[in-house]
Amino acid sequence: MLRVEEGSLYPALQRMLIKGWVNAEWGTASGNRRARYYTLTTAGHKQLGIEISQFERVMGAVARVIQTA
Amino acid sequence: MTWPGELLRRLKMLLQQRQFDATLEEEMRLHQELRQEQLIESGMTAEAARAAARRNFGNPTLLKEKSHKTWGWGWLESLVQDVNYGVRAMLRSPVLTAVALISLALGIGANTAIFSLLDAVMLRSLPVKEPSQLVLLGRGRWNGISDDFPITELYSYPFYREMQRKNVVFSDVAAALSMSNSVHGLVEGRDETEPMNLQLVSGTYFPLLGVQAFMGRALTDEDDRVEGASPVAVVSYTWWKRALASDPSVLDRKVKLGSTMFTIIGVAPPEFFGTNVGEAPDMWIPLAMMQQVPPGWKGYNDNLAESLYVMGRLKPGVTMAQADANVNLVYQQILRGFPDVRLDQKSLADLNKIRVPLTPMATGLSSLRREFSEPLKILMAVVALVLIIACANIANLLLARSTARARELAVRQALGARRSRIIRQLLTESLLIALAGGALGIWFASLASRLLLRMVSSGPQPLPLNVSIDTRLLLFTLAVTVATALLFGTIPAVRATKLQLTDALKDGRGSQGTGTKSPLAKALVVSQVSLSLILLVGAGLFLRSLVNLSNVDTGFNKENVLRLQTSASSVGYKENDPRLTALYQQIEERVSALPGVRAASYSSFTFHEGSWNTYVSVPGRITDKDVDVEHNVVGKGYFDTMQIPLIAGRTFGPEDTATSQRVGVISERMARTMFPPGNPIGSHYHIGSPDNPYEIEVIGIVKDVKFNSLQEDPTTLDYIPYTQRHQYLDDFEVRYSGDFNAIAASVKQAIHSVDRNLPITRITTLDEQVGRSFTNQKLVAELSTFFGLLAVFLSCIGIYGLMSYVVSQRTREIGIRMALGAPRSSVRTMVMREIALLVAVGVAIGIPITIASGRMVSHMLFGLKGADATSLVTAIVVLLAVGLFAGYLPARRASRIDPMIALRYE
Repeated sequence: MLRVEEGSLYPALQRMLIKGWVNAEWGTASGNRRARYYTLTTAGHKQLGIEISQFERVMGAVARVIQTA
Repeated sequence: MTWPGELLRRLKMLLQQRQFDATLEEEMRLHQELRQEQLIESGMTAEAARAAARRNFGNPTLLKEKSHKTWGWGWLESLVQDVNYGVRAMLRSPVLTAVALISLALGIGANTAIFSLLDAVMLRSLPVKEPSQLVLLGRGRWNGISDDFPITELYSYPFYREMQRKNVVFSDVAAALSMSNSVHGLVEGRDETEPMNLQLVSGTYFPLLGVQAFMGRALTDEDDRVEGASPVAVVSYTWWKRALASDPSVLDRKVKLGSTMFTIIGVAPPEFFGTNVGEAPDMWIPLAMMQQVPPGWKGYNDNLAESLYVMGRLKPGVTMAQADANVNLVYQQILRGFPDVRLDQKSLADLNKIRVPLTPMATGLSSLRREFSEPLKILMAVVALVLIIACANIANLLLARSTARARELAVRQALGARRSRIIRQLLTESLLIALAGGALGIWFASLASRLLLRMVSSGPQPLPLNVSIDTRLLLFTLAVTVATALLFGTIPAVRATKLQLTDALKDGRGSQGTGTKSPLAKALVVSQVSLSLILLVGAGLFLRSLVNLSNVDTGFNKENVLRLQTSASSVGYKENDPRLTALYQQIEERVSALPGVRAASYSSFTFHEGSWNTYVSVPGRITDKDVDVEHNVVGKGYFDTMQIPLIAGRTFGPEDTATSQRVGVISERMARTMFPPGNPIGSHYHIGSPDNPYEIEVIGIVKDVKFNSLQEDPTTLDYIPYTQRHQYLDDFEVRYSGDFNAIAASVKQAIHSVDRNLPITRITTLDEQVGRSFTNQKLVAELSTFFGLLAVFLSCIGIYGLMSYVVSQRTREIGIRMALGAPRSSVRTMVMREIALLVAVGVAIGIPITIASGRMVSHMLFGLKGADATSLVTAIVVLLAVGLFAGYLPARRASRIDPMIALRYE
């Protein structure tokens, strides 16, 4: 089971904010509570694409290793 | 592409930090609350839910810090922290901080001040267009007028014109008279003349330098084409401001120089001072007017009146080697092409051998540089050593302080601070002290450099050098400051953090004691002593050299002689004018009759003013053209006024008139070396070649005198009465008794009673004038003594500090000794012995370096050698005495220790 501390989200979000991949703003969630809303920017979409393709490449390599094993 | 935006976002975060913090905190809190609610809904109790939510979330403080770090301003925050901390630490021990700051300010300030002078005299480029392309023909070491053939230092006007036409390597060529004209000019509309410094230059001078006029126009070649046809002048910005009060309608104003009216056609830009570093002419005038400007040099058309510096601007792409080849080629062509040159065997041989050296002129010409470059370099070394000594003191201070902070630093390291982080903090503190010291130093330097300029100027006016603080200087100071911070901060910082944590955290002295810190501190003090020895000995050498110079027998009596200069050429007397001779005679008579005046005389030179020299031809001796005889044209009272003893024959009298046999009085050395053995009185000789009509009969021999400098060997000198050679004589000396000011006033009155308009300047004593000839020795002696004493003072503080520290470290040991029966005196002796040992080691290390440096400056000393035993021994005794004095108080404190208190002391 993959256990990651929930709070480690925040430094990551900050990094994305710095790089301009997400925009953040306050909004209201269901039940009249305040929440922070993060949206991907165009640059963010591009970066997501890059990250996904990198991930897929790694997955592909791992899969090949497993197959031959 | 994204990083400008990134930078902006980071900056935004920096400015809105609090808002950002609040947002993040709220976000994290809401996150936890949400998770808590979810867990409650799924059945947990409120307590358990909260605990679980917190556990799942992680460490909020750590996450906050991590988020902060990603924004990248961590270094700024820690810097601000360190600075804050450093300032508070500095304020906590104000006395120590004050001592550190003052010694740094003196050290850094002195370095900056000396460097500012060094920069102005030696390093700074001329404020002209592309100075690196400028080249001088010759080395710029001579000035005056010569008719020697062939020479490479000075050139005639026709030569300049030919060089301009024939060369292929220079885009332009210009010439400037190697002497400046000191003239009393009359600004139109005023009734009194004012002293002015004029520089005669070719019309191509300003275009060559690429200098545009600030107002009006600069000189052009057109102004230099026809002799005597262009009475125009370009004035300097400083002169325009000072003498004309920045008159906006300065153009077309007129100035009378001699008997010609000159029109001002332009004002030079503010930073322009010509091409001679250390001189700043008030006006530039075309060479075509050289005869109209007093004293009326002739030579515009004379091939062999060599008086100009010739300079050129290299064409783009031309190398120095190419320029050298072409210039030498053209030089030979021109010189051989002069019709009025007598090419005998010797001069032809010389011409074949001679080569014109080309000197780069980016930093301008300067006789000042020749005189002061060595002294300035030595002073630069001296102040650098003083700064190092000051740094050693501060390093010791920081070492002592870090001992006191050992526990604090150990705690911090134990809590997880990285060693590098702590070192960074300690270095920031050092940098802070250094920067504060540097800022004070700059202020001190601005005062000191003005004082330095006065010390360097021989004469009432300070030299026209710009030593004000500018960017270069500030950068230099900054570099020195940072270097000093690193120098005194690094080792203590590294030391302080190299701790055995458990030992340091323990209470009490423990294993920490005299162990780690003392050897380093002692080494620092030992090095201070060595450096102080070098500086003390150096100061002693220069000081004694100065004293020797002051006591040199000049041959004449320099006491009680008033001297001044008059300028007959400025008020319309022509050279070879019989009124000139009458003028001088009348003035001499009137002044000699004054009460308190023993004798008075005019002369062309007195001491250290230059010379008129030629070779002479003595019948019965082979004429040696390389031996120069210096001629002084004087009045008949000269020998009485200067009290130069007569050895044989007689001096001038009323029988020596314009129509009688031409006579001369010669110096001892001339009598001995230039005449056949036997009595030369009655012999004849010719000035110059044997066919020169000026034939002199020797009527007397006088004692040798110093003529150009105090260090020279006796020269061949002769004296000619001005009744037989009518020329401008500018020097007037008066031997007096009584009050100088009173005599000066009555002399001035007497002179003006003969000619009301005769300008009188430079009223001073002969003693002072002789003193001006060794200004640079005075500079080095005075400053090296000051800095030597400063260095000793700093070392004294260093020894005191170290001894206090050592005593406090060994308090328990001393207590035990005394408790076991050691008398107080033995404790005192113990401390004093340690000091003596320190000083001895320092001296031992310093001696070889001192002797070596002494040898290096031997050539600058007068009357003693560099490896001088007396100076060395004196310095060692002084250092020992100072060391013992510095250690006396700590020793006394040690002997006063109460054993009971010491044993309980932790």
